[in-house]
Amino acid sequence: MTRKRFEPKIVAFTCNWCSYGGADLAGISRIQHPPNAKVIRLMCSGRVDPVMVIEAFKGGADGVMVTGCHPGDCHYATGNYRTQVRFDALQMAMKTMGLHPDRLKLLWASASEGQQWAEGITEMTESIRLLGPSPLKAGGAGK
Amino acid sequence: MEQVDEPRIGVFVCHCGHNIAGTIDVEQVARNAQYYPHVEYATDFMFMCSDSGQQLIKDMIHVNNLNRVVVASCSPRMHEPTFRRVVEEAGLNRYLFEQVNLREHCSWCHALEPEKATAKANDLVRMAAARAALLEPLEVKTVEVTPHTLVVGGGVTGLRAVVDIGSRGFKVTLVEKESELGGHLRYLSTMYPNNEKAEDVIDRMLIAARAIEDVELLTDSVVVDFDGHIGDFEVEIKNLKTSKTVKRTVGTVIVATGFEPFEPEGYYEYGNNPNIITLADYEKMKKNGSVLRISDGKPPKQVMFVGCVGSREEGNKGHEHCSRYCCTAMTKAASEIKDISDEVMVLYDDIRTFGRGHEEIHREARQKHVMFSKFAHTKKPKVCLKGDDIVVKWKDVLSETYCEFQPDLLILTTAMVPPPTTDEVSKMFSLTRSGDGFFNEEHIKLAPLTTHTAGIMIAGAAQAAKDATDSATQASGAAAKATSLMAQKNVEIESTVSWVDETLCSSCHTCVTACPFGAIGMLTTNDPPIAFVTEAKCKGCGTCAAACPSNAITMRHSTDEQIMTMVEAYLTPQTLKGGGEQ
Repeated sequence: MTRKRFEPKIVAFTCNWCSYGGADLAGISRIQHPPNAKVIRLMCSGRVDPVMVIEAFKGGADGVMVTGCHPGDCHYATGNYRTQVRFDALQMAMKTMGLHPDRLKLLWASASEGQQWAEGITEMTESIRLLGPSPLKAGGAGK
Repeated sequence: MEQVDEPRIGVFVCHCGHNIAGTIDVEQVARNAQYYPHVEYATDFMFMCSDSGQQLIKDMIHVNNLNRVVVASCSPRMHEPTFRRVVEEAGLNRYLFEQVNLREHCSWCHALEPEKATAKANDLVRMAAARAALLEPLEVKTVEVTPHTLVVGGGVTGLRAVVDIGSRGFKVTLVEKESELGGHLRYLSTMYPNNEKAEDVIDRMLIAARAIEDVELLTDSVVVDFDGHIGDFEVEIKNLKTSKTVKRTVGTVIVATGFEPFEPEGYYEYGNNPNIITLADYEKMKKNGSVLRISDGKPPKQVMFVGCVGSREEGNKGHEHCSRYCCTAMTKAASEIKDISDEVMVLYDDIRTFGRGHEEIHREARQKHVMFSKFAHTKKPKVCLKGDDIVVKWKDVLSETYCEFQPDLLILTTAMVPPPTTDEVSKMFSLTRSGDGFFNEEHIKLAPLTTHTAGIMIAGAAQAAKDATDSATQASGAAAKATSLMAQKNVEIESTVSWVDETLCSSCHTCVTACPFGAIGMLTTNDPPIAFVTEAKCKGCGTCAAACPSNAITMRHSTDEQIMTMVEAYLTPQTLKGGGEQ
């Protein structure tokens, strides 16, 4: 009787210095969270070209996360301010792409915030699970 | 960069004892890995970081003629340097290594879902193998370090650093904006814990500094221009009196610009009665002779101190942290002034005379019958001015009693705050600042004296509020950091830097403004000018590459292709060659 639950595929572009460390700490602290997000480690969230996010959606991601250091805490001084600006622009583009804005999330987590990381991943996974598969996915939302 | 031979990838999956293998089916992950594109060899092993694990990697590189290595184990923040060394020892470029985090990011945080964890591990290894296929060797570059240090700030921290560096035989130039050296110690009488005269401490350091030939002490001077990179910084120093400038080339920099005592405007009626002063004012008076009431020049009889003024004030003026010098300094002052006055009262939020020799000062004060009373953090004492009188009312939280005291001298023990020049200094040296305004270190525990700009160290109260003892300790540490760089003569710089394809550059300058480190300039010899990267200044964040609208910038070791192939490998995996299970 049980129907297989929809398991969203989430791409997480993660900066090396703060949020990757936060994800490490979540593991070290054994804070359990869903395995749906796959981390792609970059040095800075400022490395994330908006095109990468769009390509990830086109490739079939149900959700994309960009994670970085808290504003003011960037390892590269100001990289994450750029991230914020790009994220805001991307949010506007989401509608054009026919995607729910919640499918793209920006998460600030420091290397000492394992709990915040785990909560962020959990919330993202659950919200995408409710939204269902990405309409851009081959086969469409009805799949 | 040109592509070397056809990728031949080796994948090594670590059990990490039970840490990974207890949750993830590592054997299955390794079996599957064999079928990913370009993977020539895949295996699992108990501990990849152990000697035998490292040897296995080296042996398999040789046996299978591997030119790329993927290790699926713990966080690269932990063992990436280890495995980079291993592949380097086996003759591969260190950048031809890729690590997968199966422990922190998988087995430990999905311990209750072993099947899903294994599926995720398969995804992660497949993504890493795809990236590994596109990795390129990068040249490990070094720069020469000029054996000369610039020390900014001539207080106790700066002087300590100067003496340490100079006595090791390196040139050092100290720049101090005031006419005299010694910083705030010049305004102190005696210092805890051994009651040494502050000016004696300064004098001893000055004598030591002046005895060294290669020490240059520039007072009335400020740095007006600063450019360059680790090993080779160009500094322009201006004399404020003569307006003359001098130029120096230095290899390393120590920023020791210190603090200033917080002016407690808005706290406890400060400024509204001359007999309400700060501990800094008290120290100045004591150093210049005797502590007297400002209003009538007579010795005070009823003295009151209030602690934590401007410290631990989240959201208020001052800053949110402990200033780390005040409990002991205040207790010492209270103990001293008790000798010449009738009653001394110390009001505190919390009190902790934390250092060695500090507790004795606290004990002595209590023995002398200095009165201590604790108020609640959320309910500060109230100061009322009645004519010329100061009336202080508060609730002692230990006895639950409402108290009142009429001091004829009220001394506010104020915080250490960053000096007003901090903003300028932070821009000059590309330093970031914490919420309370002090400079950020690279890492609070692992790299507390270096900053995100290679070759620039911070020390003393410029980093955070601290006393002279801790400042001098940090100064010696920063001096050791500087001398170790200079002693190496050549230091490695980031190879993971960005690179501009000049045929694609459209001269828009976007990258110039995007770079947080001023590492990108425009080559004006070209028409139109094209962007170029000063590699020694580049920290490898890749913000420029993301910003470039012409795709002219490649971020080495984090190229668009290397990133997107991971996305693709995750979302649309290629058919495995020959099968495999998933």
